[in-house]
Amino acid sequence: MDNDDGSLLVRALTGDPSAQENLVRRYRVVAYNTALQLVGNREDALDIAHEAMVRFLRALGRIDGSRPLRPWVYQIVRNLVRDRCRRQALRQAESLETLLAEGAFEPTDAGLDPEAQAIRRDLQRRLSAALASLTEQQREIVVLRDYQDLSYQEIAQVLAIPRGTVMSRLHGARMRLREILHDSGALGSSPVTGGSDAARL
Amino acid sequence: MPPDCDRRLEPELLSGYLDGELFQAEEQRVRIHLEDCAVCRQALAELRQMREATMSTRFEPVPDEQWRETPKGPASRLLRGSGWVLFVLWLIVVGGYAAFQLITAPESLWEKLLVVGGLSAVVLLFLSVLLDRLHDARSDRYKGVKR
Repeated sequence: MDNDDGSLLVRALTGDPSAQENLVRRYRVVAYNTALQLVGNREDALDIAHEAMVRFLRALGRIDGSRPLRPWVYQIVRNLVRDRCRRQALRQAESLETLLAEGAFEPTDAGLDPEAQAIRRDLQRRLSAALASLTEQQREIVVLRDYQDLSYQEIAQVLAIPRGTVMSRLHGARMRLREILHDSGALGSSPVTGGSDAARL
Repeated sequence: MPPDCDRRLEPELLSGYLDGELFQAEEQRVRIHLEDCAVCRQALAELRQMREATMSTRFEPVPDEQWRETPKGPASRLLRGSGWVLFVLWLIVVGGYAAFQLITAPESLWEKLLVVGGLSAVVLLFLSVLLDRLHDARSDRYKGVKR
């Protein structure tokens, strides 16, 4: 568990309201961003993030302090997204495309020159839009790994699947995204021909 | 559509390799394979490009006012509730007394209307605040949370 999380959790469990507040402030953003990518509209994402924090606080006393909090929050968000999908057709009108047009996703890589930033930004927008074309299973695994940076072990814990399945499902989802990006012309303009790539890794 | 590799490498190992999630023996296999497979090198380069793009994506933050604050402690809630109850009782008693005095006072109707108009404005403003509070309390997302 993150050191900050650990000390906050200990204080929160002793009833310190400011520690509980800080935990909520920290994880509600994580919950919102994840939900936004999974459901594709702000209103549902905000609702899910609020509900996730309610469940988070309710279950605080039952948390195993030796395990990281982050996967657990993702698990709550994922369950809420699934519940919501079952209960209602999500408001698809405000899709990922709309969010992109409104600048909901902002590339922030100051280290790149303007041209590289423009290319990166275009790829980010296309990737976010392509997420909507994936199946629910594929989308959640890409979000957890490639946007939220969870390890395979953490993803296996969140999705309750074996680690090997994480790798194969993730690869399938990535290849599908790659295919979409190829079809739209966003990838494939600079083929790799030498052996340097393998050496670099 | 990107070309497929026709050699014997489980395709998912490329993702594991990219993410640094392989065991040493698997990593070695992928490394050797990449040495002479341009298709997989291309795929890996593109997967890395995609991952760099996703990892550097930041989200527009939600404005603070859209987040409801987490609940206050029980003492604070009790004091606030008691305050509201006492205030409403005081308002009813004092308001009733004032209304009685106004009706029985000898001033002209015009003077009484001036006083009633001002007081009505204050009461309406108070009611609007009270209704907002009640609405917030009913729709409080954290009301089920035990603190």
